[in-house]
Amino acid sequence: MQSISGLHTVLRGIAVSCAALIALGGVAASQTRGGTVTMGVEQDIAGFDPIVVGVYDTGPMAAAALLFDTLTRLDDNGVVEPRLALSWSSSPDFKKWTFKLRPGVKFQDGSPFDAEAVAFNYDRMMDPANNCRCAFFLNGISNIDTPDELTVVYHLRVPSVNFPALLSPPAVTNVFHSPKAIKELGEGYNHHPVGTGPFKLKSWQIGDRIVLERNPDYWNPGHPYLDEVVIRPLPDPGARFASLVAGDVDIIWDDQADAIKKAMGMPSLRVNQYDGSGISTIVLNVKKPPLDDIRVRQALRYAADIQGFADAFAEGLYQPAKDPYGSGSFVKCKDPGTLPFDLAKAQALVKEYGKPINLKFMVTAEPRGMGIGQIFQEFWKAAGITVTLDPVDQTTFVTKSFQHDFEIGGWRIADLADPEPQMYADFHTGSPVNIAQYSNPEVDKLLEEARSVADQEKRIADYCQIAKILNKEVPWIWLFSNHYFNIAKAELKGVHKQYSNTVDVADAWWEKKK
Amino acid sequence: MLGFIGRRLIYLVPVVLAVTALTFLIASLLPGDLAVAMLGDQATPENVAALHKKLGLDLPLWRQYLHWLGGVLTGDLGASHRTGETVLHAIANRLPVTIELMVIAELGGLLIGVPLGILCAVRAGSSLDKAVSGLAFGILSVPPFLLAILLIFLFALRMGILPATSYVPLSQDVLGNLRSMALPGATLALLEWPALMRVLRSDMITTLQENFIAMARAKGLPQRRVLLVHALKPSSLTLVTIIGLNIGRLIGGTVIIETIFALPGLGRLIVESIYTRDFIILQGAVLFVAVAFVLINFVVDVLYAVLDPRIRHGRA
Repeated sequence: MQSISGLHTVLRGIAVSCAALIALGGVAASQTRGGTVTMGVEQDIAGFDPIVVGVYDTGPMAAAALLFDTLTRLDDNGVVEPRLALSWSSSPDFKKWTFKLRPGVKFQDGSPFDAEAVAFNYDRMMDPANNCRCAFFLNGISNIDTPDELTVVYHLRVPSVNFPALLSPPAVTNVFHSPKAIKELGEGYNHHPVGTGPFKLKSWQIGDRIVLERNPDYWNPGHPYLDEVVIRPLPDPGARFASLVAGDVDIIWDDQADAIKKAMGMPSLRVNQYDGSGISTIVLNVKKPPLDDIRVRQALRYAADIQGFADAFAEGLYQPAKDPYGSGSFVKCKDPGTLPFDLAKAQALVKEYGKPINLKFMVTAEPRGMGIGQIFQEFWKAAGITVTLDPVDQTTFVTKSFQHDFEIGGWRIADLADPEPQMYADFHTGSPVNIAQYSNPEVDKLLEEARSVADQEKRIADYCQIAKILNKEVPWIWLFSNHYFNIAKAELKGVHKQYSNTVDVADAWWEKKK
Repeated sequence: MLGFIGRRLIYLVPVVLAVTALTFLIASLLPGDLAVAMLGDQATPENVAALHKKLGLDLPLWRQYLHWLGGVLTGDLGASHRTGETVLHAIANRLPVTIELMVIAELGGLLIGVPLGILCAVRAGSSLDKAVSGLAFGILSVPPFLLAILLIFLFALRMGILPATSYVPLSQDVLGNLRSMALPGATLALLEWPALMRVLRSDMITTLQENFIAMARAKGLPQRRVLLVHALKPSSLTLVTIIGLNIGRLIGGTVIIETIFALPGLGRLIVESIYTRDFIILQGAVLFVAVAFVLINFVVDVLYAVLDPRIRHGRA
C-alpha cells in the first residue's frame, strides 16, 4: 500500500513539474507582481488562537489561507498536492500516516518550522486542560510522533484512507502557528498571529480591517504576487455588494442570489463559483414516534417540493441534493434512488398510516431558519401532516440536536475532501454525532468497509449503496448541494477554487497593475 | 451652582446601579449559555460544569453581580471570553468612531434644523412652513436602513463620488476619514433634523408672542437681531433636551447604520456581543453607555440653568 501511495506521489510530482515547465513560458509574462486586494467577508474575525476561538468560520479561513500554510493543498482538479509536507505514505490499515516536511521553512518571526513545531500545535489543541473546542475535530487522532526533525507521524484511532486531503483546508486544526510567538505573546497571540504563509500581519483594527503584507521570506520563490491584502468584515450583504460595485473592495464572499445574478451580467465583475462536496439537510429523529414509521418519513419526503423551493428562493443558483454527496464530491452516484416530489404518494402514505400526524420542527430563530420552516410547514400541510415550528437560538439548536431532543431538525454536511469522517459520524449506529439515531447493520458494514479499503471505485460503490438505502429509509431529507460564490473584479486573476467555502487569494494577481 | 452640580452627581449612583443590575438580569435571561457557546461541539455536561466553575457562572446571580461590581470599582472591567480583548480596549477602540459619527449627525442635524425651524416659526402657517413640515414628516417616516441604501445607491453607485463602505481612522488620513464618514453621517443628520426643526419651531412661535419680543421690535431692532439674539436662546430649552437625548442615544452607537456602512463602532460591538453571548463585553459596554447617558443629561441640566436663570435659582 505504502508503495502505491509513494508511486502516486512521484508520478504526480513528475506531472506537476512538466505542467509547471509548460506553463512557465506563457504565464510568467502576464502575472503581474504588486498591488493590493481588498476583500469583503461576512463576519468579524474573532482571532486566530485555536484555544481562544475554537473554530474558524469563512472570514477567518480566508485570512488563515494567507497567514498560514497547511501540510497539503488541493489543486484546481481536487488532487492533493504538497505544501508544507513534501510527501506522505500510510500503513496498510490507513491508521498511521507519515509526512515528510519541507526543509528550510521558517515562521514569519524567523523561528524554524519543523516536526517539533507541528507537534507543539497539536499537543496544545489536544491538551484537555486547554478545553479547546477544536479538540472535537481531532478526536480521530490518538497521538503524533516526531521521529526526526522533518518527519511527522499521525497515529489515528480509526482508518482514514484520504487523510492527506482532509488536512488541506486552512481550518483551525490544519494550520501551524509559531510556537515561539505563542509562548512569547501569551494571551496577546490571538490578535498577533504568526504563521509560515505568503502574507504576514501588518496591522489589525479590530472590527474594521486586517492588513496583511507580503512575507519577503516566503518559502515558495516568486510568491505571492500581491503586495498587500486587506480583509474587511462587511456584515450587510447589500452594502457589501455595493462596496464591490463602487470599487471600495475588490472581491467579496457572497451568497445572495439577487446580487450574484446581477454580477453575472456585469462585464466589470466575475462570479467565481464552486460546488462544495457537502449538502444541507433536514433531519428526522427516527426514534421519536411517529417518525419511527418509515411511511411517515417517506410521506415527508414525497411532500417536499425541493426543486420548486430552489427555483423560487435561490433563483436556480442552488441545486437540490440527490444524496449526501454534494456536486463537488468525487462520489457520483448514477441512480441513488432519491424519492421524487409526489404529493399524491405522500397523501396516500399518510392515509395508509391512518393516525393524525403532528410533528415539531426545530428551526433557528432567525429569518433564514424561520423561512425554511414555514415553507416546509406548507409542503407538509398539503399532505395532511401538521407541523408546528419550534424556534430556538443557535446554541440551543446544537445542544438539543446532540441530545436528540427534537423531532424534525436540520444539519449540514461540511465540505471535507472525503465523505468518510462525516458519513461515519452521521449514520453509523451509536455514533455520538448520529443525531437522527439512525441504525442499519447493512449501512454500518458499508461505512466500515468504505473507510478501510484503498480502491476508490469500491469506496464510491459503497457510498452509493449507502445513499440508496438512506434514500429509501429517509432518516434525512437532503436539501441543497453546497454551492459557494465569490464575486471579484474581472481583472483579478488566480483566485483559488472556493474549497471549504474559503475565498483564497494567496496566489491572486492583477491582470493590469492597479 | 456647585450645590446644584453636587445634587445631580449623587443621582448618578442609583441610576448606574439600576442600569447595570438590570443588564445583568436581562443577559442572564437570554436563551443560550456562554459555556455552551464557547465549548460548541465539546459541550458535554462535565465540560460545561467545569467551565461554569472557571468563569464563576455556577454562583447565584446576585453574587456574580457583586463580583463583577467589585471588579468595576477597582477598575477591572474584565476581558472577553471569546477573543481575549479587554473591555476597556474594546470600548476605547470603538468609541472614536461612534463619537465622530454622533458629532457629525448632531452638527448636520442642527445645521439644517435650526435655520429651517426659525424660518418656519417666523412664517408659521405659510406655504413654506407647510412644505418644510411635510418634508420633515416624510423623512421621519423613512426607515434608517432605506435612507442609507438610497444614499449608497445615489452617491456610491450612480455618481461614484463617495465610498459605499470604508472606514479610515481620523488619525490616519483626515480627508479620507471625512469621505468615509460622509454617507453614514449624512444618513444620520437627515434623520435628526426634522425633530430638531419641529421643537424649535413650536417653542419659537410661543416666544415670538412674548412681550419682550414686541418690546424689541418696538425699539426698531432688525429682524435678524430679534430672532437670533432675543428669541433663539429662550426658545432652545426643548431643543437642548432633545440634543441631549440624541447624543445619549447615539453614544450607544447606531446599530443599523454601523452595520450597513461597516463602521467599527460601539453599536456593532454591543450587538455582536449579544449574538456571541459575550456577556463580559456586553456588560462593560452597557455600563459605559449608561454612565455616558447620565453624564450627558447632567450636562443638559446644567445647560438649562445657564439658559434659564429661573432654574438656577429657584426650586420652582
